[in-house]
Amino acid sequence: MKAFDGYNPIAVFIYYAAVVSVGMFCMNPWIIGFSLVGALVTFFIRNKLSGAKSHLFFLLMFAVMVIINPLFNHNGVTVLLVINDNPITLEAIIYGIASGAMIIGIIYWFRSFSQIMTSDKLLYLLGSISPKFALILSMTLRYIPLFEKQTQKVVHAQQALGLYRDDDFLSKIRGGIRVFSVMVTWVLENGVITSDSMTARGYGITKRTHFSIFKFRRHDIILTVTTVILFAVMLPTLITGAINFEYYPKIVGEETTVFSVLAYISYGILAFLPTITEAEEKIRWKYLKSKI
Amino acid sequence: MITIKNAALRKVLKIIIPFLLVPLALAIGIFVLEEKSYTFISIAVSILALVLFISGFEKKKTGTRRLVIVAVMTALSVVGRFIPLFKPITALTVITAVYIGGEAGFLVGAMSALVSNFWFGQGPWTPFQMFAWGMIGLIGGLLSKYLKKSHALLIIYGVFSGIVYSFVMDLWAVLWHNDVLTAEIYIAALVTAIPYTVIYSVSNMIFFALLAKPFGEKLERVKLKYGV
Amino acid sequence: MEILKIEDLSFSYPLCEKKALKNISFTVERGDFVTVCGATGSGKSTLMRMLKKELIPLGELTGKVYYKGKDLDTLSEKETTCSIGFVAQRPEEQIVTDKVWHELAFGLENMGLPKDVIRRRVSEMTCYFGIEDWFEKSVNELSGGQKQLLNLASVMVMQPDILILDEPTAQLDPIAASDFIATLSKLNRDLSLTVVITEHRLEDVIPAGNKLLAMENGEIVKYGETRSAISALYGNKTLIEGMPAAVRIFNNFEINTPCPLTVREGRDFIEKNFSNEIRSADKKEQKNEKKDAVLEFSDVYFRYERDLPDILRGLDFTVYENEIFCILGGNGSGKSTSLSAAAGINKPYSGNIKVFGKKIKDYKNGDLYKNCLSLLPQDVQTVFLKNTVKEELADVNMDTSDLPYDLSELNERHPYDISGGQQQLLALAKVLSTKPKLLLLDEPTKGLDAYAKKSIMDVLKKLRALGMTIVCVTHDVEFAADCADRCAMFFRGEITSCSSPKEFFSGNSFYTTAANRMTRGYYGGVTTVADAVEIMKKNGAATK
Repeated sequence: MKAFDGYNPIAVFIYYAAVVSVGMFCMNPWIIGFSLVGALVTFFIRNKLSGAKSHLFFLLMFAVMVIINPLFNHNGVTVLLVINDNPITLEAIIYGIASGAMIIGIIYWFRSFSQIMTSDKLLYLLGSISPKFALILSMTLRYIPLFEKQTQKVVHAQQALGLYRDDDFLSKIRGGIRVFSVMVTWVLENGVITSDSMTARGYGITKRTHFSIFKFRRHDIILTVTTVILFAVMLPTLITGAINFEYYPKIVGEETTVFSVLAYISYGILAFLPTITEAEEKIRWKYLKSKI
Repeated sequence: MITIKNAALRKVLKIIIPFLLVPLALAIGIFVLEEKSYTFISIAVSILALVLFISGFEKKKTGTRRLVIVAVMTALSVVGRFIPLFKPITALTVITAVYIGGEAGFLVGAMSALVSNFWFGQGPWTPFQMFAWGMIGLIGGLLSKYLKKSHALLIIYGVFSGIVYSFVMDLWAVLWHNDVLTAEIYIAALVTAIPYTVIYSVSNMIFFALLAKPFGEKLERVKLKYGV
Repeated sequence: MEILKIEDLSFSYPLCEKKALKNISFTVERGDFVTVCGATGSGKSTLMRMLKKELIPLGELTGKVYYKGKDLDTLSEKETTCSIGFVAQRPEEQIVTDKVWHELAFGLENMGLPKDVIRRRVSEMTCYFGIEDWFEKSVNELSGGQKQLLNLASVMVMQPDILILDEPTAQLDPIAASDFIATLSKLNRDLSLTVVITEHRLEDVIPAGNKLLAMENGEIVKYGETRSAISALYGNKTLIEGMPAAVRIFNNFEINTPCPLTVREGRDFIEKNFSNEIRSADKKEQKNEKKDAVLEFSDVYFRYERDLPDILRGLDFTVYENEIFCILGGNGSGKSTSLSAAAGINKPYSGNIKVFGKKIKDYKNGDLYKNCLSLLPQDVQTVFLKNTVKEELADVNMDTSDLPYDLSELNERHPYDISGGQQQLLALAKVLSTKPKLLLLDEPTKGLDAYAKKSIMDVLKKLRALGMTIVCVTHDVEFAADCADRCAMFFRGEITSCSSPKEFFSGNSFYTTAANRMTRGYYGGVTTVADAVEIMKKNGAATK
């Protein structure tokens, strides 16, 4: 169990909604910085250093975004050099870095979010909005592994009939389409059994309730309340634009006030909440163990 | 549970959201608001997509088999990735829409986007993909009378919607990155995507040419046999 | 108390002149365990659906069904859904959701029950079925038998008074099947739950039930207490064919005692009525001429992934020309894996497989599948993709005149609309289109009734007569005893014994046919019902 895995999906969702919505729409360097570092730390605590390839991919993506922006965007007053009559501006470079950092940050928030929000948690979340939608999703998630297994069976069956080969690209496509055809028939014909099974158990005769095995516990309340308070502190500055930041034509930030500093601190805490919970849990377990 | 009880309102929403409100939001975002257009567009489209999604659910009783077909086609569009070059979401969305109806098509498109992102990664792009693919299904359903009649038209629709889909997603990517839309960056993004778009269109074309008919027949049979 | 009363029920499917059910009337008492038997097409599945209001198919229906004295039509949907539970044949497709706990809760969610009620009922049922270990699992992690138990449990949470089951064990292996029947028995005993069940494999079900309903051509042939009903069926060949071995033996003699149902009763019957002066049927074993090897496994090792355990562990065996070779063994012992290895689908990491004296690796460009070998998969639906039987056959350019059986009656039917036995034959036809000399079959009799099983056996014997070599993986000991030339026992990735069916089943004491268990120690070398009958006739009446 890693931090947040044991929390109620609703609490987790509210937290991520808060941290991502601010991080995504506010181009203030402080916010971007906190968001990026917080997202990365949260992700690395969960996954250690595994999956180097994917990190490399996002690093590359960041580089591309930083390079592309000044090449195509010629706003800004500080011209550094001119290529083919096109000015490359300092503002455009900085904007590229900032927006790249923002995007990478959001992507990493989503990456850890998808790890925490496993399918059953997502269903719980959706179930409280629309049980029907949650049911379709649950059925789909149940079908996918089933269909994958069946596809494998069909491939083998067709292979032994000499009708599926994968030695070259074209026959792979041809065979694939054949297998897919078999699958379409299979799923449609057998889908009727599923729908009978649903009808037999009374689907659709009255308004459905949504059952789940998740509870809203004390730590969920604490997390939710903390999130809401931190967000509330930031809200006035977000609305009034007190922490707005202009990149074009010239880099200008709003004046630093008590409110904006408070907003930065709040977002900083918010972005590091998963890390803080993780640390707190580790310490608590150590303490419990030492008592035994 | 959130549902829209009024059937007439549902019907109106299903038409005006995709064909009026979303384009309007895009237009306002791009042409009226010079900055923060991304913020506005993404919030507006997400909310509209959600409302559209909810209005897609009717409280019909005979819906069990339809529900199963939607789940089945969605799962297939995720599983079907095993064929090289073949991205089955558009194809299955269109076929479902034509043979089962626009609503089912919308759901298959939108759900496929959501579910396949469990594998490809969820992100702020998810609601937009849901919307885009859902629309392909919805429009396909509206045009089903013609698409069923003419195989050529079906192929054109399938390929065309694939292209429009990638154009729209590029537009979104540019907006996210840049907050304001400049023609240059958009064109650059489209140009880099050309090889991908071409492969995608060709594979869609092959798929529709070869399989739209037989798959449609299979759906028709299930519809007849089990009274969907 | 009378819980179910069916009154003059008739039903016909749309566009079908023949009635699927004709004037059916019977009553079921609370706590009854009714076994419904009959060949495929006798209307028993249709009858099951008539009892579950929600699943009545489209068609013309006359007559009435009363539940606890009330007309089923007048009861509310909620009442009928909860009171009458239904479990169907295929375990996999009946599951709706992705998690075990969610599946258990599904029916209760549909009833709109509050969360804490659902929680209580689900936990209660989980404990009763002893499935706490799976509670949080994904359903796709379960085995076939577990899936069917889950289906049963998720119907039981709705607290039904009657359970209707339509061939619930047809897709299970014998051990999972008897577990399932045992669970049903327990529910029937513990909760006085009324059970109405159809089955093809009656060996376990008949002793568990107290009533029998026999059907033929949409009509009830006999309904009543099991033993007397079976006695009344004396001489009815089609229905007796599917009965337990003891009943089939009993039906060959005219002896005025109650009909034995189980192996124990069968043994008593034989000992009481027949002497054992002649202890074994003096049958000439076929001489083993030296024949060419068709399929050779030598020291084959296989695993699916590097860090998974071996499935095949030094597998060694040889199949000779023109024989039917049956591989038997428990679930997950690697039987099916060895078949797909022989078909070149699973590639062993060590050891050799030779087909017609040539290593599989040396077959290039799919030559292995041209006039050489062919595999009939366990799930035959994996080979169907067209809209009619005719198109299916055209899809592989099959010339039906080469087939030792006739499919022309089915030409215009959809492959999914024909019976399981017919599907099996259609798939076999597709498989035969490559003109194989070696035919590999994976459980060809799974889920089939006695009649369909017999027609498959006949077809296989005909194919052998045409010179084909057949390797067959099966759970069905009766099938192997009847048509194999040699049988092999598969255990943990290797073959532990291999001999002619006579020797094989006489040597095993548990994993053997019912006829053999019944005569063990009394007669020797009996494997099939026919063997037993023959030796009993020779011996004549007991002298005592």
